[in-house]
Amino acid sequence: MPHIEFNKITKDYGAVNVIRDLDLAVEDGHFTVLLGTSGCGKTTLLRMTAGLETITGGELTIGNQRMNEVHPRDRDIAMVFQNYALYPTMSVRENIGFSLEVAKMSKGETAKKVNEAAAVLNLTDFLDRYPRELSGGQRQRVAMGRAMVREASVFLFDEPLSNLDAKLRAHMRLEIRQLHDRLKTTTLYVTHDQIEAMTMADKIVLMKDGKIEQSGSPDDLYDRPATKYVADFIGSPAINFIHGTIEAENGTPVFASVDIRYPLAPDCAAQPGQAVICGLRPSDLEIAVTGDISATVMLAEKTGAEQNLHLKAGEQHLIVVADRAVPAPTGQSVDVRINTDRIHLFDAMTEQRI
Amino acid sequence: MMVQSKAARLRRAIIAWVTVALFVFPLYYWITVAFKNGRDIFNQPPKVFNFSPTVANFQEVFGVSFGLPRNEVLAGGGDFFMAPHLWSSVVIAVFSTILAVAIATLASYALSRIYFRGRHHFVNWVLSTRMMPPVAIAIPMFFIYKDLSLLDTYLGMILIHALMNLPLAVLMLKSFFDDIPTEIDESALIDGASRWKIFRRIIFPMAKGGVAATAVLCFVFSWTEFLFALTLTQTSLKTVPVVSSTFVTSVGTAWGNMAALGTAAMVPAFIFILLVQKQLVRGLTLGSLKQ
Repeated sequence: MPHIEFNKITKDYGAVNVIRDLDLAVEDGHFTVLLGTSGCGKTTLLRMTAGLETITGGELTIGNQRMNEVHPRDRDIAMVFQNYALYPTMSVRENIGFSLEVAKMSKGETAKKVNEAAAVLNLTDFLDRYPRELSGGQRQRVAMGRAMVREASVFLFDEPLSNLDAKLRAHMRLEIRQLHDRLKTTTLYVTHDQIEAMTMADKIVLMKDGKIEQSGSPDDLYDRPATKYVADFIGSPAINFIHGTIEAENGTPVFASVDIRYPLAPDCAAQPGQAVICGLRPSDLEIAVTGDISATVMLAEKTGAEQNLHLKAGEQHLIVVADRAVPAPTGQSVDVRINTDRIHLFDAMTEQRI
Repeated sequence: MMVQSKAARLRRAIIAWVTVALFVFPLYYWITVAFKNGRDIFNQPPKVFNFSPTVANFQEVFGVSFGLPRNEVLAGGGDFFMAPHLWSSVVIAVFSTILAVAIATLASYALSRIYFRGRHHFVNWVLSTRMMPPVAIAIPMFFIYKDLSLLDTYLGMILIHALMNLPLAVLMLKSFFDDIPTEIDESALIDGASRWKIFRRIIFPMAKGGVAATAVLCFVFSWTEFLFALTLTQTSLKTVPVVSSTFVTSVGTAWGNMAALGTAAMVPAFIFILLVQKQLVRGLTLGSLKQ
């Protein structure tokens, strides 16, 4: 059952159109991530959900109630901001309890709820500290505690991890997801980091220029990207793209570029003569004794258990993720095998999946 | 941190001390004049350190307040008893500061946070009123005040000083409020707080330093303002800058008495700044640190 629904949502700033006719349903209890580069409209969409931006056109419903004109405090939402937006002159206890104070909850009840939230978030020892005395991760948790005590029906997160260092970010990712699994609150989470989206989301909504490029589960977006843009955005290291055309050879479609020639599956929907872009994920390529592409090693980037091999096949640059045991000194010739099931073909003109 | 050679450090220290001396010496000399007798004041070469201190100048200016008989302490040409005027100055400066800061705080918060059509022009218009030379409105103000019976009243002086301070106070405080991230307001808005509650519980405590800095500016302006204090008062109410001119008499300038009043006049301003000093330092550095 959808909890939040965007129907033909439009947002203009004066003459500038940011979001146009956007339709989206956020399922009840799901963790939905709005993903995209900066300026794609994802934060605007979140702020419209919160009631911090007016909606130019269309209708927003939360729990089947029209929300367009409803004040932020009456939307039954809680929001965590990118810079945490903690109240610097209040202690952690006061920060977490502020919404309850505003709601005129009794002191005893407030203290109980604050203590409960603090226990869940490991903040019990810091309740009397001020935000400036906390580390980035602790501030982040206070911001989450503030959202938690409200027991809102929707949580909104606006790039909450982008101010943290890489290690803490990975840790907080886990904490937020575990918190969600425990509370099962409908969550809308904005990020530009595809790894965050892939690791945390039940559903990813990838946005581009104010429109939804593709939405679906992380696996959907990774395995069946609807457009070249999606294929490029999702996955690290980034997917390899090779421009070429489809040729027919003895009735079998063959992908042909200047440097690479490779037979495709017979049921491939691409037409002979069609200009295409072939997408090959670095992890779907394999260094083999005899392969489909001959290439030369330009650089091997060690990432720990694996290595990213930068190869040159003619003029074509390719990245292959290989086991670190694979010997790949610079300048060495190698053969690369393609996993046929994992080829992504896009029309060169429309950049849509074939 | 940059490592400096001994010579460079010494050079910096010398420049710093010379600069400080340059600013402090006139103040020191003025204070010594307050404690000198007539002969020492006019001595050539000037006596900077080796004079015999006296409190006679202060007795003449403030003596009546301390129970000294009037005819004993008052010198020749005019009435030099200035304590009531010092008190008038304090009342006007304090209340005009409170009024200006109270209005400016609310106005600047609104200008910083609430969007309305033409806001930008409104802010510029507020500033433009400050660019007008005060003397241009001195005479019209005199007639307006006369009609409203505000001449020579505390209320009149408090209003005009608050009015003169408002544009700058609004702009200064607006910049402090602009430095506070709007996400904090938005977060509180979602938490269910009203605008007034957000202002009172969250934003104002954060902007205290800025308010203190603005208050100091308003206070010092009112404390030293001369033009309106001269034109809008006549006999009963006079402020320190105005009465200072009475020391210029037909038989000469009473430098000693003038310095005594000037020295005494530094005290209230000094106390005021001391009171808000802690907030002031924070105010002047607000926004320089990442939230």
